[in-house]
Amino acid sequence: MMAIRLNPDLVPDLLAAVQQSQQNMTTATQQLSTGKKVNQLSDDPAAVAQLVENHNQSSQDDQFLTNLSGLQGKFQVADSTMSNVVTVLTRAISLGTEGANGTLSTSDQQAIGAEVQGLLSQMVSLGNTTYQGTYIFAGTAVTTQPFAQDPNTLAVAYNGNSNTTSVQLSNGNSINSGVPGDQLFQNASGSVFGALQDLYNSLESGTGIDTAVTEVQDALNSISTQRVFYGNALNQISMSENFLNQDTVNLSSQENDLVGVDAATAASNLAQAQTAYESQLAATAKVLNLPNLLSFLQ
Amino acid sequence: MGSLSGALNITLSSMLAEEGAIETTSNNIANVNTPGYSRQRPVLEEAPPVLNGNLVFGTGVQLQQVESLRDSILDLRVNQETQQQGSLNSFLNSAQQIQSLFNETNGTGLQSDLTNFFNSLSQLSTNPSDLNLRQAVLTSAQNLASAFNQTSSALTTQQRNVDLSVTQTVSQINTLTQQIAAVNSQVSAATTSNQNPGPFVDQRQQLINQLSNLVDVSEINAGNGSLTLTTSSGAPLVVGGQSFALTTQTDPATALQDIDSQGTNITANITGGELAGQLQIRDQEIPSIQNSLDTLASSLANAVNTQHQAGFDLNGAPGGNFFVPPTGVAGAAASLAVAITDPTKIAASSDGTPGDNGNVNALLDLQNQNIVNGETPMNAYSNLVFQMGNDVQTAQTNQTAGSQVLSQLQNLQGGVSGVDINEESANLIRFQNAYTASAQVATTINTLLQTTIDMVQ
Repeated sequence: MMAIRLNPDLVPDLLAAVQQSQQNMTTATQQLSTGKKVNQLSDDPAAVAQLVENHNQSSQDDQFLTNLSGLQGKFQVADSTMSNVVTVLTRAISLGTEGANGTLSTSDQQAIGAEVQGLLSQMVSLGNTTYQGTYIFAGTAVTTQPFAQDPNTLAVAYNGNSNTTSVQLSNGNSINSGVPGDQLFQNASGSVFGALQDLYNSLESGTGIDTAVTEVQDALNSISTQRVFYGNALNQISMSENFLNQDTVNLSSQENDLVGVDAATAASNLAQAQTAYESQLAATAKVLNLPNLLSFLQ
Repeated sequence: MGSLSGALNITLSSMLAEEGAIETTSNNIANVNTPGYSRQRPVLEEAPPVLNGNLVFGTGVQLQQVESLRDSILDLRVNQETQQQGSLNSFLNSAQQIQSLFNETNGTGLQSDLTNFFNSLSQLSTNPSDLNLRQAVLTSAQNLASAFNQTSSALTTQQRNVDLSVTQTVSQINTLTQQIAAVNSQVSAATTSNQNPGPFVDQRQQLINQLSNLVDVSEINAGNGSLTLTTSSGAPLVVGGQSFALTTQTDPATALQDIDSQGTNITANITGGELAGQLQIRDQEIPSIQNSLDTLASSLANAVNTQHQAGFDLNGAPGGNFFVPPTGVAGAAASLAVAITDPTKIAASSDGTPGDNGNVNALLDLQNQNIVNGETPMNAYSNLVFQMGNDVQTAQTNQTAGSQVLSQLQNLQGGVSGVDINEESANLIRFQNAYTASAQVATTINTLLQTTIDMVQ
């Protein structure tokens, strides 16, 4: 029987096998050192394409979180301004009640009136509160000082507008970025400036103080109603923060699923590749040193 | 009737024939590591017998020829597979460099610049009159534009480099076809004069194999051992002892090199070898990636410009172009630039008031709109990334499979043509024994002749 003649030159196949083991070892080392199983586009094109969307999403989330902390600062300033407004109005009510006491002399009433005038100008400056250089109660006319007081009539004019804007808290979730000043301070259900001005005038004239106090009370109620917006907004922001933080965790776990390598698997791959490489070398050395017929012809 | 002198002649012919066989064996062993060498075999045959009365006497042995053992069909298959490998190797060589431009696994690529641009708009929407945030939008837009510029120019550079390789490959092809033509004449001369053309065929196959690594080669047997080589589309490379050079010529439309054969442009007809891989990168892969990049850049610039013009800047004036309007799709990525330098000119407001962010919200929303061939900008980019990676992966898979086929074919070739030391050693002993035996016969005949002479005295 005639055996099939094989390629007598074994070197190319042996070298190819050694090179293959070397390649496996390099791949395992690279995976271990980078912590990634995908290091080139061609390693897994679909995973890298998803990684693009993943990185985009996670970077957007980071941006939303930055935006939220800015908004939070602004809303906190607005909320504490509202709290000051409430304090001022409460003080005005107690001054008005005191002034309505029929035993007071006209000059005493006028002294109280002067204090109310002080409260009024304090209120104007609260209405002109700024955050990072812009007026927060001017609607969208953020560069215009919204409230100006006539020094003679003490009347307060609103120079802002009634527009509101919306800001995204996260993808598809928006919030109004504030309440315009006229809605807060000159609301139809109770104008803060109008009430204080009427209180001042009634104290000066000594008539209609009770009515004016009721007006201030209405203004206080109106402010309390409007103020709820800021409380809600701050809650919404902290909810969005929780959502975004969770989303970031999810995205990073997804990224790990897409391209990350399990350290234990990579280490065991490396050990396997090393063993294969060493046995490959041993086999090659042995085969290349095999004796041929000539070795036995002496 | 036989004769002693006849017998002596037979031993002589036998010793001559075995000498030739030993020489062949010796030559085989000498060439055991010579690339392309095919083992040779002495072909021994009976010398023509003589008729004497009714007796037929043999007249010994003769070395009829020395033949080279090769399988021309296997040679052909090896050459074909080599063409495939050459093409895939040169394609991968460049494609792997190109894919590293978009290696998003280590943060190289356009994703971060694209995202940062929209993020800067997102931040501006929280405080649209802030000059720092406006400046940040301009900066991130400039970064995005220069990322497009750099990626596009890296692709162009790669294309020029490959174009240079095309010229070099063509000149290597021409050198090889000249050498093949010379060897081709030697093969047919040896064949015509009944000599063993084997060594020349070895050399020719070796050269054709090198040629196959560079370009697609089709072999036609022209008789007398001569081969006619053409490209697979029929452009002549070697006919008999004559070679036909390929030439390169600058294409006025693309400024790249066209490949001509005898005055005909055959650039689009090259299907194998390194040349085909280079042309595939230069004429298909790079233009396709470049086009996706251009489409993305121009669609984005146009959509942003249209929306930007619908708004009002910080001074209440209507918005102008945000990006320099692209003149067309081609070249849009390379020339993308931001049109404004004054941050107050960003049209963030939709009603002219400085605190309004309606238009910046609309600009921001472009990232979720299908403004690039029915896809969002990020989808379009991730598709480009997938396409590039997939092309490389497919080529790698084909290359691995092909290299296994090739090494199998080379093993089969080695089985036919490779020199086996054991086989040669066994043959050597066989020929040595036959030679020694013949010499012993000559000694015996000599003794017999001496006996005859002594008898006469």
